[in-house]
Amino acid sequence: MTWGHLVHIAYGIPLTLALTGGAFFVGAVLGFPIMLLRESSFMPLKVAMIAIIAFIRALPPILWVFLLYFGIGTGLINLSPFVAAVAAFGIIAAVNMAEIYRGGMVSISAGQWEAAHALNLSRLSIWRDVMAPQMVRVALPPSATYVIGLMKDSAIASTIGVAELAYRGKQVSQMSFEGLLPFTVVGACYIALSLPVAWLSRTAERKLRAKVAR
Amino acid sequence: MAYDLDVARMKALSPSPLGAPSASGSPAPEPSRPVIKLDHLSKSFGTFQALQDINLSVLQGDVLAIIGPSGSGKSTLLRCINWLEPANSGRITVGDLSLDCSKPVGKEQITTLRRQLGMVFQSFNLFPHMTVLRNVSLAQERTLGRSRREADEVSMGLLERVGLADKAHQYPVRCSGGQQQRIAIARALALDPKVMLFDEPTSALDPELGLEVLAVMRELASSGMTMIVVTHEMGFAENVSEHTMIMADGQILEYGPSREVIRNPQTERARRFLRAVNDR
Ligand SMILES: Nc1ncnc2c1ncn2[C@@H]1O[C@H](COP(=O)(O)OP(=O)(O)OP(=O)(O)O)[C@@H](O)[C@H]1O
Ligand SMILES: [Mg+2]
Repeated sequence: MTWGHLVHIAYGIPLTLALTGGAFFVGAVLGFPIMLLRESSFMPLKVAMIAIIAFIRALPPILWVFLLYFGIGTGLINLSPFVAAVAAFGIIAAVNMAEIYRGGMVSISAGQWEAAHALNLSRLSIWRDVMAPQMVRVALPPSATYVIGLMKDSAIASTIGVAELAYRGKQVSQMSFEGLLPFTVVGACYIALSLPVAWLSRTAERKLRAKVAR
Repeated sequence: MAYDLDVARMKALSPSPLGAPSASGSPAPEPSRPVIKLDHLSKSFGTFQALQDINLSVLQGDVLAIIGPSGSGKSTLLRCINWLEPANSGRITVGDLSLDCSKPVGKEQITTLRRQLGMVFQSFNLFPHMTVLRNVSLAQERTLGRSRREADEVSMGLLERVGLADKAHQYPVRCSGGQQQRIAIARALALDPKVMLFDEPTSALDPELGLEVLAVMRELASSGMTMIVVTHEMGFAENVSEHTMIMADGQILEYGPSREVIRNPQTERARRFLRAVNDR
């Protein structure tokens, strides 16, 4: 393995980050309305959402990647491997984030809603001023754990040719006829990328906790 | 304040419990009229009838204590009054607003209703992620359109009044239960309600902490605030509230001047309940 090989692997870092970040962004944004629909008091809607969420979670991520790339990406509209992968992981992230948000919401006692209503706060204000800040506190640690998991799962995108870390590791191992070293480097990259996420989440959590904890 | 006290005393002397101002006497500057009136209010959860045909009126400046066994519908009654729980039938009148509970009611009407009512909960329900000051100021800004400065000024005045100005920049978890409840009272008062509703405000508190909350409520009552208080504090019911109502099984068992109702209940059911309370 040469320096050139190392650099070749390192070029996968931005793509892995973009895949993870893109999918998480899609999931974090779509997760909220999905959670609201899932918590709808309109029973048919609620049941439908529960079924859809269970269905999306039941299939392995690689199947979603294939479905979007080979299914939709080649037939209906032309999706690049990268876009197909972000879309696939975005869908999965959305239902998982919806569950994380839901966990945040059910952790808020009914009394908070009642007090907010009794104070005549508008729907918008209840969400923005009362619910969201409390939900974020609860949802932050599981979200960080989820991002790290998502980053590892993003290696699956290598199967449809997205040149991220795992893909490049395989390329280098084929070029250099070495197995252990290239993949060790790839592994080290994943660890190095997940550490800051874990650290950031921990720090943010501690800061937020410090204010409200006894 | 002294003037308000006089009004309260005059009312206490008035012979009729249900609202009609006494015929004689000098014209009071503020005629005693019901601020809250409930007519035939009923509420059921599925097939279970939680409130049955409740008729009630509370005069301006009056304090009404509601007592009764667990499950008798006391909380449900308060929650129906401010529409946290929509009643099924009957009429709720607060000030100039009169709502028919059997008909669909618009959002603006519920807003108008709640604007006149302050609510204090057994479990305080302060917002844990905001400072004490922010807790009291938030709704003023959002619902009354006060500026941050105006709101904070009002809030500081009220925190002063409940004896907690020094806690303004703390978070609620740093306050004792009694302090939290006093903050919750300040938060409700900040919206200038016509009537304050209290649902067992001291039940979650140690007796000593309960006392400081009761002191604030006493002061509030003597300042002329109209109050409906669900409570197990017989001392408060007897000494502070003009009228007491005993509820059982979703109905009004007894109603009248507090001393009469508590010292000399007419029904066997009420006697049994009061005995149980006194034996504790
Ligand atoms: N949301 C609800 N759904 C179904 N039943 C309810 C609901 N809320 C209250 N109830 C029932 O209505 C009855 C009256 O309840 P409520 O909370 O008003 O009693 P309470 O007089 O306040 O009792 P406590 O002294 O224990 O607070 C109870 O039997 C209760 O189980
Ligand atoms: Mg109750």
